[in-house]
Amino acid sequence: MIAVIAEQLQTGAFWHPLAFVCLAAGALISGLLVVLSRNILHSALWLLPCLVSVAGLFLLLGAEALAAIQILVYCGGIVVLILFAVMLTRGIGDPDVRATNQQLAWGFIGAAGLAGVVLHLLSREAWPVASRANLGDVTGRLADALLTPYVLAFEVASVILLVAMIGAIVIARGEPQ
Amino acid sequence: MSPAPPIPIQGYLVVSALLFSIGLVGVLARRNAIAVLLGVELMLNAANLNFVAFWRYGGGARMEGQVFAIVVITVAAAEAAIALAIVLNVYRRFRTVNVDQINLMKG
Repeated sequence: MIAVIAEQLQTGAFWHPLAFVCLAAGALISGLLVVLSRNILHSALWLLPCLVSVAGLFLLLGAEALAAIQILVYCGGIVVLILFAVMLTRGIGDPDVRATNQQLAWGFIGAAGLAGVVLHLLSREAWPVASRANLGDVTGRLADALLTPYVLAFEVASVILLVAMIGAIVIARGEPQ
Repeated sequence: MSPAPPIPIQGYLVVSALLFSIGLVGVLARRNAIAVLLGVELMLNAANLNFVAFWRYGGGARMEGQVFAIVVITVAAAEAAIALAIVLNVYRRFRTVNVDQINLMKG
């Protein structure tokens, strides 16, 4: 049953576009609300549906492990961390304070220009697509790739996390009294 | 059996480009340092979406796209931890996290 639903969502001529449109709209709308909410707490909370929608797009693309990692690390870790920081720096979250600086118009113009250039370049290219009969065991092959040819990236990532953890503790502790 | 999905790859690329632009607005226009960080997270997610889309539509045989996405997620986690620690320290010293009021080094 679940396998049938998953296959329909990944390759069905009707369900895949429908799911794609819903998830894309969810990601873009909640992304806009992240940027435009006056209250920083609402911004941080709107990040959650945006990240979940992107995880759903990963699922549609057949990257199940990556979707799970996205939910675990982003929704479970980073958003909670951001909420902690928002709570600890309270007083700046009240809606009376201006949420944007005076560069809002320039920010919109710059971002719209970038989007226009990228979309124009996208529309000029044909993007040939390689079709493959069977994706196979994606998670297993990802594990193989991480632990054989890309084991260096894997180990470097673990060192980065360790350094970041120690650094964050040292920085956030402040000066000893 | 998994033939290429019925959506052309441009669909994913357009969503990724728009998400990146939205994040760019957040980085450029928000005053709160934490909101700037939220914009950066949106941009990293857009990049990840591109990596996974190219992995899938490139046939899915080689796993570089997903490996790179995992590395990006790891770096994003480390970056969020460090940046929020810095934000806390800045808040302790300046009593604000608005980036346009932290201009001690402005001549």
